[in-house]
Amino acid sequence: MFRTTLPSLAAGALRALDRLAPPQTAHAHCDIPCGIYDPHYAQIAALTVVRMDQLIEALGELPSGAGKADADKWHNSMTRYVLVKEEHGELCKREVRVIWGDYFKPEHAEKYPELHTLVWNILKLGGKNRQEVNAQAAQDLLAQVQRFAEIFWETKGVATKRQPSNQAVGGELVAPA
Amino acid sequence: MALLRWLATARRRLQAALPVARYAVEGASMEPSYRAGERLLVDRRAYRRRPPAVGDVVVLRDPAQPRRHLVKRIAQAPEGVDAGSSRVWVLGDNAAASRDSRAFGAVPRTAIIGRVWFRY
Repeated sequence: MFRTTLPSLAAGALRALDRLAPPQTAHAHCDIPCGIYDPHYAQIAALTVVRMDQLIEALGELPSGAGKADADKWHNSMTRYVLVKEEHGELCKREVRVIWGDYFKPEHAEKYPELHTLVWNILKLGGKNRQEVNAQAAQDLLAQVQRFAEIFWETKGVATKRQPSNQAVGGELVAPA
Repeated sequence: MALLRWLATARRRLQAALPVARYAVEGASMEPSYRAGERLLVDRRAYRRRPPAVGDVVVLRDPAQPRRHLVKRIAQAPEGVDAGSSRVWVLGDNAAASRDSRAFGAVPRTAIIGRVWFRY
């Protein structure tokens, strides 16, 4: 494929100029022009992880001496809770990763210096919640995702409020006010 | 605020008056030819000398959002007597990850800002 590259001296001079006055952006994107992003899904996924830990806790121990039917029932429930926790831990990571990578711009990260650490924490906590049954880790994940959602809406100039999820799990969701 | 706006306008006018423009590529639709982050020097007067030709990489105004500039490759352009007028068909090199004429149709020549001249 035909490509032309400037000699390094001229390229260096232009790069220096770019630092003084940033170049314009030539978009080579695949998304629709006003990309649609919403941190709602990430929050629902985090809440789901919280809920699965609650259900696993409530399921308790497999009663010793349980018959086959009861044991099957217990294992079936446990497996389903763990499976959903796995899926939603990963879903939460994916939703946050997409918004972080595709929506946020360098100027957002400048305005919110915590952004990258926040995303890093969410990705780590997403993994931790899959590895463990850990109610505290689930609450931590939810809290970080809530903050992520607040920053997202703030960068769009939209005020937010924390409102009860109104679900069995309890907890709050960040939504545009 | 008023001063900042004035400066932004002044900068846009200055840029529009220069024969070349500097661009940074964002996104993957021109891979593997041009990758995100690469810098392009765009010749704004290229098509005063000759009509757009198939294979040229151009920066153009997004038909859906004129203040947004896209980088694409010309896939079809009028030839011969029609060469000076009319519309061109632009595609991203990375077809699977590109929104281009397949989505917004042929673009008028007036939407083209310039031809990609050099990478730096």
